[in-house]
Amino acid sequence: MVFLAMEIIFFSLFGTNYFSLRNLQNILLASTTVLLLATGETFVIITGGIDLSVGFMVGFSSVICAKVMVTLQAAGASQAVAISCGILAALLLGLLPGLVNGLLVAKLKVPPFIATFGMYGIAYGFAEIICKNVPIHSLPTAVGSIGHGYLSYWLPGKALTFLKRPENLTRLELQNLVSIIPNITVIVAIFIGIFAFILARTKFGQHTYAIGGSMDAAERAGINVKRHLIKVYMISSFFASLAGVTYVLRFITGRAPAGSARLLDAVVAVVIGGASLYGGTGTIIGTVIGALIIGTLEIGLVNLGIPTYNLYIAVGCILIIAVLIDQFFPELVRKED
Amino acid sequence: MRVLSDFFLLEYPERRRKKVLNYIGRNWSLLFLMFMLGLFSILGKNFFGFRNFSNILLAATTLLLLASGETFVIISGGIDLSIGFVMGFVCVTSAIIMRDLHAAGFPQAVSILAGSSIGILLGVIPGFINGVLVTKFKVPPFIATLGMWGIANGLAWRISEGFPIAFLPSKVREIGMAYIAYYSSKKGFSLFHRPVLTERADIWNLMKIISLPVLLVIILLVIFAFILSRTKFGQHTYAIGGKIDAAIRAGINVPWHLIKVYVISSFFAACAGVLLTFKLNMGIHTQYTSSYELFAIAAVVIGGASLTGGKGGIWGTVVGVLLIGTLDNGLMLMGIPIFYRYIAIGCILIVAVLIDQFFPELVYKE
Repeated sequence: MVFLAMEIIFFSLFGTNYFSLRNLQNILLASTTVLLLATGETFVIITGGIDLSVGFMVGFSSVICAKVMVTLQAAGASQAVAISCGILAALLLGLLPGLVNGLLVAKLKVPPFIATFGMYGIAYGFAEIICKNVPIHSLPTAVGSIGHGYLSYWLPGKALTFLKRPENLTRLELQNLVSIIPNITVIVAIFIGIFAFILARTKFGQHTYAIGGSMDAAERAGINVKRHLIKVYMISSFFASLAGVTYVLRFITGRAPAGSARLLDAVVAVVIGGASLYGGTGTIIGTVIGALIIGTLEIGLVNLGIPTYNLYIAVGCILIIAVLIDQFFPELVRKED
Repeated sequence: MRVLSDFFLLEYPERRRKKVLNYIGRNWSLLFLMFMLGLFSILGKNFFGFRNFSNILLAATTLLLLASGETFVIISGGIDLSIGFVMGFVCVTSAIIMRDLHAAGFPQAVSILAGSSIGILLGVIPGFINGVLVTKFKVPPFIATLGMWGIANGLAWRISEGFPIAFLPSKVREIGMAYIAYYSSKKGFSLFHRPVLTERADIWNLMKIISLPVLLVIILLVIFAFILSRTKFGQHTYAIGGKIDAAIRAGINVPWHLIKVYVISSFFAACAGVLLTFKLNMGIHTQYTSSYELFAIAAVVIGGASLTGGKGGIWGTVVGVLLIGTLDNGLMLMGIPIFYRYIAIGCILIVAVLIDQFFPELVYKE
């Protein structure tokens, strides 16, 4: 938290146009994938597991989503039907790898990191085969207007509209148009809100912490650990496929390697957010802060004109430092009950 | 006769069945490799032949190195996810050094030697850091090396600025493409030097025997297989993987030993990086989608190592790598999109772990 504040102040001082509504929204948009992946990953890490398949799951579901949309559109379905079918298909099929991961981990006792590592290869392979190694294009046009739309627009001194851009604007007016809250951020916020509630306030969340704290104790307490673990891995892959869908909405394409570079970021966000890799601790809010730290860093570096590959170095270092802090000051880490 | 029936346990059908099962369980990967060789020989075009087999070997050299290093780490009960990107980092670094020294007017031999050795030296550093993090700071191995995954990749990208490094000394290509011996029906054998041939058909039929990269990799593997199976160092590695507490009580300096193990893994990755520079005649940073770490770990696990540590061996790993290499090559020759390899390897990895789970006593131990 402190680190996030420091980072924002640092970049505000050194970057141009850093501290502005537009830029803050850009940070939120840029963090979309990490936010979603990390939220799903939080559940898994709290149970003491890990899900390495999420990175390629993004590509997998983005390809499915785009493919279904393109196929339906070509078959003459209306845009609304094509888009909603594409999204539904991606989200439903996206649950499958989670189910398989969960079954492998819970029933067959495969170490989580190997089961999901296998899935990492399998998901990528399928994604490449579905899209034949070329990004999928010519999606319905409405996809872009959803993905690039904002919840409301405000023209200073004139009007406030919701969901629709005011029409017939002059060039100057367009420049001054303030777009408030991207649609995608709304979607992300809704899902993260729901699952934050589930984790913090429901029995399901409590059981998740219990399993991560001590699996034997959880079993003795009568929790159906196997079923619960399967559900947790399905949540993780659900969020990954949601990230795939938002990828399609934002970039109007489906690509197999879409989220592959985000795996590290997602795990890092969770760990920065105070979760321990041994399970039992961690919160969604912490994870959100972790993801925003990475997003801020990314946009901040771009803003300062520093090439993004420095981000990977920075994130790698942050991960190791976060784990070291966790090791040396275990009592500092926040624990939610 | 008595000895023979004893050997085959003819009088004890129960025990014989068990022995056969045991044999299959212990050597399933080898049997599967043979099965695939048979399958592809029947189905694939031009699969069964000296030329193709040496292609498989040559293509497998990088993975052989990566997986051998990983074998040490996995036997000690850890994991190293950073190897693929360490390889890319070294590949880029050594290529840049070679190019710049060459451009500065140094003789080819000097620039190549300097590039290779500095590349390997730098490549060992990530392993050292991994080792220190894992042992002194008790960071879980897969997190420490995941951090290094990002760092090494970022560095490689930064150094190369995302572009392949070309314009290397011309000898680099010659070394990468060299073979130990050539055989032509007209000129007979010649060692190291490619015979001068004029006719197209003769050039096509020229038999190239054992490429230099393959030979170097085999030498390295033999040395480290010896270290692992015959020396105290190897024994200690198994001991740490088997039971770390017992290893400490037995007086092994566990932290120091583990640091060495991670350095070995990194060293192999660095060698793979230099080898890649020679093979490609270019320096290229590793792509995210190439998933070298997936294939290396899969090869080690297929080779009979257990992720809980204490089990595995270099020769098992070699079988695992060859299995993956044969699969790649066979798929390619049958005209199946190469991406099926990711699915196949993912599945084989999971199946291998399941076999290890259900038949722990079966798994091959060196």
